[in-house]
Amino acid sequence: MNQNLPDNQQQTIIQAGPEPQGTGACISRRRFLLSGTAAMACTILLPGVAGAAGNIVDAVTAKYPTKKVGTLSQLKDGVQVIFSYPEPTVSNFLVKLGEKAGGGVGPLEDVVAFNALCTHMGGPMLGSYKHEHKVVGPCPFHLTTFDMKRHGIVVAGHATESLPQVLLTVEGDDIYATGFIGLIYGRHQNT
Amino acid sequence: MAKPYYEPTDSIPLPPADAETLTTACDYCIVACGYKVYRWPIGKSGGPKATENALKVDFPRNILQGGWISPNMHNIISHNGRQHHVVVVPDREAKVVNKGGAHSIRGGAIAQKCFNPKKPTKDRLQTPLLRVNGELVPISWDAATDIFAEVSKHVIDNYGSHAWAQKRYSYQYFENTYALSKFAWVSIKTPATAEHDNPGHFSSTPGWRDIGFENFAACYEDYLIADTVVISGTDPFETKTILFNEWILPGVRERGNKLIYINPRKTTGAAFAEANGGLHLWLNPGTDTLLCMGISRVIIENGWEDSKWIEEFTNNKWESDSGFGQGVRNTPWQWRTTWGKFQCNGYEDFKKWLLSQKESELAHVSEMTGVSIADIRRAAEMMAKPKADGSRVKTTIGIEKGSYWSNNYLNTASIGDLALLCGTGNRPGQMISRMGGHQRGGMTAGGYPRNHSPEKFAGRRRKGLDLDRWVEAGKVRFSWVVGTTWVNAMTATGHLFDTLAKQTINSPHQLKSTDTKAAIEVFKQRTDAGGMLLVEQNIYLTEDLGKKLADLVLPAAMWGECDFTRANGERRIRLYSKFMDPPGDAKPDWEITAMLARKMGFDGYDWKTSNDVFEEAARFGRGGVLNYHPLVKYAKKHGKTGHEQLREYGTTGIQAPIRLEDNELVGTKRLHDLSLALPESGPEGHTVWPKKLKSFNSQTGRANFIKTPWFLFGDFYDEIKPRDGELWVLNGRINEIWQSGFDDIIRRPYITQRWPENFLEVHPDDAAKLGIESGDYVTVTNDRVPVQVSGFIARDVDDLLFTGLKKNGHIVYDKAEVKAVAIVMPVPKVGTTFMYFLNQKESANRVVPRVTDPISDNYRFKLGFGKVAKSGESPYKHTFAQMSFASRAIM
Repeated sequence: MNQNLPDNQQQTIIQAGPEPQGTGACISRRRFLLSGTAAMACTILLPGVAGAAGNIVDAVTAKYPTKKVGTLSQLKDGVQVIFSYPEPTVSNFLVKLGEKAGGGVGPLEDVVAFNALCTHMGGPMLGSYKHEHKVVGPCPFHLTTFDMKRHGIVVAGHATESLPQVLLTVEGDDIYATGFIGLIYGRHQNT
Repeated sequence: MAKPYYEPTDSIPLPPADAETLTTACDYCIVACGYKVYRWPIGKSGGPKATENALKVDFPRNILQGGWISPNMHNIISHNGRQHHVVVVPDREAKVVNKGGAHSIRGGAIAQKCFNPKKPTKDRLQTPLLRVNGELVPISWDAATDIFAEVSKHVIDNYGSHAWAQKRYSYQYFENTYALSKFAWVSIKTPATAEHDNPGHFSSTPGWRDIGFENFAACYEDYLIADTVVISGTDPFETKTILFNEWILPGVRERGNKLIYINPRKTTGAAFAEANGGLHLWLNPGTDTLLCMGISRVIIENGWEDSKWIEEFTNNKWESDSGFGQGVRNTPWQWRTTWGKFQCNGYEDFKKWLLSQKESELAHVSEMTGVSIADIRRAAEMMAKPKADGSRVKTTIGIEKGSYWSNNYLNTASIGDLALLCGTGNRPGQMISRMGGHQRGGMTAGGYPRNHSPEKFAGRRRKGLDLDRWVEAGKVRFSWVVGTTWVNAMTATGHLFDTLAKQTINSPHQLKSTDTKAAIEVFKQRTDAGGMLLVEQNIYLTEDLGKKLADLVLPAAMWGECDFTRANGERRIRLYSKFMDPPGDAKPDWEITAMLARKMGFDGYDWKTSNDVFEEAARFGRGGVLNYHPLVKYAKKHGKTGHEQLREYGTTGIQAPIRLEDNELVGTKRLHDLSLALPESGPEGHTVWPKKLKSFNSQTGRANFIKTPWFLFGDFYDEIKPRDGELWVLNGRINEIWQSGFDDIIRRPYITQRWPENFLEVHPDDAAKLGIESGDYVTVTNDRVPVQVSGFIARDVDDLLFTGLKKNGHIVYDKAEVKAVAIVMPVPKVGTTFMYFLNQKESANRVVPRVTDPISDNYRFKLGFGKVAKSGESPYKHTFAQMSFASRAIM
């Protein structure tokens, strides 16, 4: 039981032991959302060990690979950087917002990553980031916009889901993708 | 209480190849997109190959292919007592409306509306409840209907039918509205009834009634094939999403159409219009009539009016005065005929009148509306200036509540006149129509019993009764509220709450036990002492009416829990299939009505199925816009029920009025349609050809120009115009919560996450002055909310103008406050704020005046006002999981 959460949220955390501290600590997607920071979001770094060691195990993120998707030093404020994950055919983007964001990594907790397909009808969201607003969109198809500071929530438009957020973690200068929050457009399962 | 966060999943079950498929339409906005429901028992799922799933498509889906099932489209329901998966997906085979499977955020998440005891819908009402010792406790249907019937009879016998009130939705399916109206209007004959969105039974667009326009004359194609589309008082991007996405937006992108938005908010659609060669007339609230008069003046002064069309399709001097010798005066509000302020003796008379009005002079218009003279001229050009080759621009006009709920008669009349100048109203791509709010599900038995109404204009016809004032006057002793909040939905919300509380929970006559006989006796005593028995019939308990006030609660079934029918904004009728069990003892409203009617001893309520009601109601809609009587007759001839016939039309449905031609049913694409070819042999079988099929709905079939004198509104406008630091507090709808508020603000977790509390949009200039930032809690206070009371008889026009009402003691002032989370963005105009209208906990209507339009008795819902001040910081200001403070107008 997590004493900090009401009863109706308990089932979302599968927890078999005390929460570890520092680098390498693992956390569920639920806590990722609540904490508003991805500094602890690292489920996958020690996938073989996490469950066995009795740490918090996220049943969903555990099935994703860990992949290096960029480096902090090469990101420029407001510029989308494309990467594929979890498979070569799935396009996502990294963006450095310049302001702290939900799920952000890096010293300013401002680096976030999202899938590049609009969750309404699959429109391409690359190239439409508006740095002034920290928003991606409007989608070229039907004008939906998503808030990059707030886990990709719909600002205005028609998608029934937030833009799927890529879980990130940082080791030194390297940025790793470790999982997804949400279902990628067009799929019935992400992996 | 719902969880504050949506829990995104990264997989969904696919329906197996043998899943059952049913068709339906979305329950929410007017557009009513076609949907398919796939249902299969739990424990199974389909595969990603086309042969392995019921959608018969391969996964993953590609861009724009349709057929993707988002996680919000899946739920677990009960069917015949067993748990089943359902996915409710936009029909990718749809040929009409949402062609190819497009959807909005509302419809796309409609599966979350289904009752699921493990989700936030678990608080659906499942059994009748009775308030005993202040708490609502379960009772049987037998006890509930006994109490309802016995107390009703007591009230009617002792105080008359007008002491028995029904407040109900106007739209929640033909079967239910027919049954409810039959009960109130035919069996009881009470005038004390009102629909969900006004205090009585009034036309939403009274100016159009006088001109001859039907409300829903256009079809969606008209918004595509026009050259210029004028959109007033709404943003279809937000609230008619698929009309915008599939019809308006392709017109701009593929045909180069131009959009003109008339709205005090710069929402996404308005920003899109500006970015694509169109205009946003960012006007001050309540000034639409002046803007329309200004544009009309520019058209007339430049000779851009469609003279040939005006000559042919509008009434001249003699025709204006024809038709039972009353002409334009032969309207539902004949009581105002002596005013003589509206009628024009033909176009020349209108022109002379308009050019003589100070209110149409451009400098004045610009000052009052806040729209530049250049933009007024540009709008006139885009709407009416002939092209270089002399051909005319095709202009289609769509309006909605921002227009007709700020200045009801004058706004509808003035934009109607503008349409006539453009030759708009009766041709493909040149139509004027309401864009719509809720779907069109009203089918009534007989008419409103106006002759029983105590409200009248001296020496003239009776008016429909204003129920809110009637209740306040202590005249109502029984109220049956069906599918509406009543309290929060009406203006001066706090005042109405106090009125109802006085007569219910604050009455000394309260129940101490669930004993049925004792309850009936206590309620009789309460009504004899001037109090009221208040019944709520709904799918969930509403915040104020249900949780705090109602004595008796009846649980209703909803969309998907019974076969229902209704029409969308282009009069397209579909069958909404039953695909799940209602929770507990909940029953559809028609069935509850029939149970109550039988307890009351009324004849004519022996329906066994919703189809029985559908077929009976058909006879009563024969002359109307939604006439489906030929379909019922056709079905019967072919050995089918009406519902079965409609089910065969699937998500395509058929557009009313439905006609029979060469022994086949045909729909009607648009009304007042010059291009409609009708057989020379005349109407076939049970077909009715109302005048409005090809002509305008006026005394001659030609349209009337109407004068729009500002004095009818001017004194009220001067009274409520913000002063001493006040701001306008507009209320309205947004994309995520529109026509879906009754379940999804609270019960669809993704929407809850987006909008956990009510919000107030504030322009950055105003926010800077007030020291307000996005995420701050703010209060809106209004210490001078005008509230109209009593006054059921008037002698002349002056009595009904604000000045007259005040002079005669019919205006009192109330204080009100509402709390919200501030969002600072340049969407509302400077001096104007905007709030979601129907948050049941923080009602925007609290700060809205309760003073009705003197012609139509509609409220001016949009014109709230008050002082805005920071009261603290919300938890959303410095966290990221909920809400968004980004602009809704990013292009």
